[in-house]
Order: sequence, then structure tokens, then C-alpha cells
Amino acid sequence: MSNYFKRLVFGAINLLKGLIITFKNLITPAITLQYPTQKQAMAERFRGLVDLDQRKCIMCYQCVKICPTNCLGITPKAPPEKKKELESFKYKMELCCFCGLCAQICPTGAIFMNKIYEIATSARKELDVNLLNSDKYAKWLNPTVK
Amino acid sequence: MVTVSIIVSMVIIGAIVLAFIALSAMFSIWWERKVSAHIQVRFGPMRVGWHGVLQPIADVVKLLLKEDIVPSGADKWVWWLAPFFATVPAVMAFVAIPFGKNLIVKDLNMGILYIIAITSTGIFGIFMAGWGSNNKYSLLGGMRSAAQIISYEIPLVLSIVTVLMFSGSLSMQKIVAAQAGGWFILKPSLFLAFFVYIISAIAEVNRPPFDIPEAESELVAGFHTEYSGMKFAMFFLAEYTNLFTISAIAATLFFGGWQGPLFPPLVWFLIKTYGIIFFLMWVRWSFPRPRVDQLMGFAWKVLTPVALINLIIAGWLLLK
Repeated sequence: MSNYFKRLVFGAINLLKGLIITFKNLITPAITLQYPTQKQAMAERFRGLVDLDQRKCIMCYQCVKICPTNCLGITPKAPPEKKKELESFKYKMELCCFCGLCAQICPTGAIFMNKIYEIATSARKELDVNLLNSDKYAKWLNPTVK
Repeated sequence: MVTVSIIVSMVIIGAIVLAFIALSAMFSIWWERKVSAHIQVRFGPMRVGWHGVLQPIADVVKLLLKEDIVPSGADKWVWWLAPFFATVPAVMAFVAIPFGKNLIVKDLNMGILYIIAITSTGIFGIFMAGWGSNNKYSLLGGMRSAAQIISYEIPLVLSIVTVLMFSGSLSMQKIVAAQAGGWFILKPSLFLAFFVYIISAIAEVNRPPFDIPEAESELVAGFHTEYSGMKFAMFFLAEYTNLFTISAIAATLFFGGWQGPLFPPLVWFLIKTYGIIFFLMWVRWSFPRPRVDQLMGFAWKVLTPVALINLIIAGWLLLK
């Protein structure tokens, strides 16, 4: 009989403890973000899309060689002009596995990975990007919020 | 001519009560979503209106536009009538709830007995929904609900009897008047009666943690598994109306009803009622659901003896 009352009292105390915990949670500010309008800052070494600082590129082709999926392609300018100048720097996003090897091997730090993570598209051709275009990632940097 | 004026006044009062019930249910749904969200350290509805206050209206519009599906093997009549049988008793209980000094539809001389009797018939709707759906989960949910409500009715009524011993009347207004000197919850034996009442009331309206008739992890959605559209909305309305009813009864029986300083009686009544509703939401989002046998064991082995002992102590205190 005493065991019965002991269990009753301990049960009630434990229920009260649970209520206190949930009340503490209730008055804690929400930790979630209102996603399309509020966005979380990405970590410093986050590997988003491959990006290029054109002025630093010395056209050593190391990124092209190390890329495990062959998603990078460098085209130099035609012979009459200076040979070490970029005509185009193709990046096939659909092949990219975001391993970051190109950014690691680059001797001048010209190629790096940015913080863009919302990379869905509705057409396949949008996945082939020329890294020399200044507005190449404009679509994802400023997505239209409805 | 007299009969016409009576009918007109009945229609007006009925419309006011129904409008209040609909608004209260929508507010409670929004509030419950907010409370649950903040207990889980998130925001809850934020998009529709200021902090999502218009979310219930959006939900109602969605439910109105939904297809009304009837299962092929359903017992059509029972299936159709079940939502009404669940909703009508919940609405009828509002007849005897005192919102203010004269703000009561009818101060019946056996008001609390009427409310208990009427709200108990809500089980018919739930059991009919379980039977009519021709679905094993629904039937199990309906059976569990019947067992649960019949079991918890006993401690519920025993705890209310304790209050009646102190008030000496079954009329809701007289119970309120009896608390003019001090709330009933401040008396020791009624303090315990309040907890017995509130636990049984949670089980009575099938709210978590005692929501085994609609336990998602076991029974999909229990008795309303097969319901969609407006019929589902009616079960939802009944659930939140019952929530308001049990909180209003608790406010009337234990917290002095509409009495209080400064503010008008209606404001005091709503503050107390919604305070208790908040407590019930807080409980809902804090505790896990017990098993069926644990639930029944708790009713018969804990609540009923406690309520009986409490009744004896209350009688002794009154005779002393």
C-alpha cells in the first residue's frame, strides 16, 4: 500500500518536472528560420558551386586534369592573340560532385567554391555555365521570392 | 405573436452561440499550433496574416474545397450521421455555461448534470464513425473511445460531486455564487478534486496524452481515418468545442466562474477558461501517450480510489 502512494507521489513529481522543461522551451526564442526570407549563413569551408577569379587564372590546366568527373573545360584564345588568355571556362554543373579538388590544387587560388546552395533549375542547359560570365550565378544569388 | 418573438430570440441566441463556438474553435486551433511550435522551439504558422492568425480560415477554406469521400463498404446512414452526433452534443452543452451574471442561455437548476449528460452522448458520434467507416482502425478507435469515456466518467463525476457538496446546488450560477468568498480550488479537498477532474476531462475529450482512440502511431487517425472535407472539420470542431466546454466547467466549478475585480465578468470568464485551455495544451505537448491497458488501469486503480477517498474527506470536513 505504501508502495502505491510512493508511486503516485513520484509520478506526480516527474510529471511536474516534464511540465517545467516544456515551459522553459516555450519561453525560449525559436531557433528555426523563416526560410526563403531568412537564410542561414554557410560555414567558412562550405563547398557550394565552383567559381572563378578570372584575373588570378594562369591557365595551368591543373583543375581540368584533377577533376574526377571531367566537368571543367578551358578554351584559350585563338593564336593571333595572346595564348595565355581565356576564351571560355566551361563548368558542367550536372557532372560536378563538389569534391573541391580543383580549388585545392589551384596554385593561385583563382578557382574556389562559393556559398550558393540553392541550385535547382528547370532546364538542363542552365546547368552548363561559362565561369567567365559575370552574371552566371545571378539566378541563384537573387532567387525571386513569391 | 409571443411564439414568434420567442422563436426570433431563440434564433438570435443560437446564432450568437454558434458564431462564438466557431470563432473560439478557430482561435484555439491557431493557439494550439503556436503553443506546440514554441514548445518545440520553432515558429508555427507565420505566413497567413500577422503571425499566422488567419491560418485557421485558410484551413477551413481548404477543407470546404476537399472532396467528400465515402468508403464503398461504409454503413451510409451511420457514416453520414456520425459527425452530427459528435458535434451537436458539444454545442448543446453551451446552454448551461455561465459567461456572466446574466450571460447564460438558460440557468437550469440541474445545469452541471445536464452538461455531463449531454457531453457524454458525444461518444455516440465517435462510435458511429468507427462503426460506419468499415475500417478496422476506425472500429478499434471507436471501441477504445467508448471504453475510455465510460471509465473516466466515474472519477470525473465523483470529483464534480465533491464540488456540489460545498456549493449545495447543481445550478451553474449558484455554484459561481457559492464561490463569492473564495475560489473552490483553494479548499484542500477541492484542490485534489480539481486535478482528478482535469485528468479525467482530458481523457473524456480524447485529448493527448489520452488520445488512444486516434493514436497516430497505432490507428492511423482512429475513428476519423476515413473522413475528409467538411465532415472531418465537424469532428475537429466538436473536439475543440469540447475542449472549451471542459475548461469552462473547470473555470466555473473551481476558479470562481465569471467573478473577479476590475474587468467585466465576461472578460474574467474568458481569461480563466483560456488559461485552463492553455494548461491543457501545455500538458498535451509535454507528455507521451500511455498504452490502452495503462490508461484503463489508471482510471480504475488510481483516479477512482483517489476521487472516492477525496469525497469521504470532503464529507468529513463538511460535517466537522
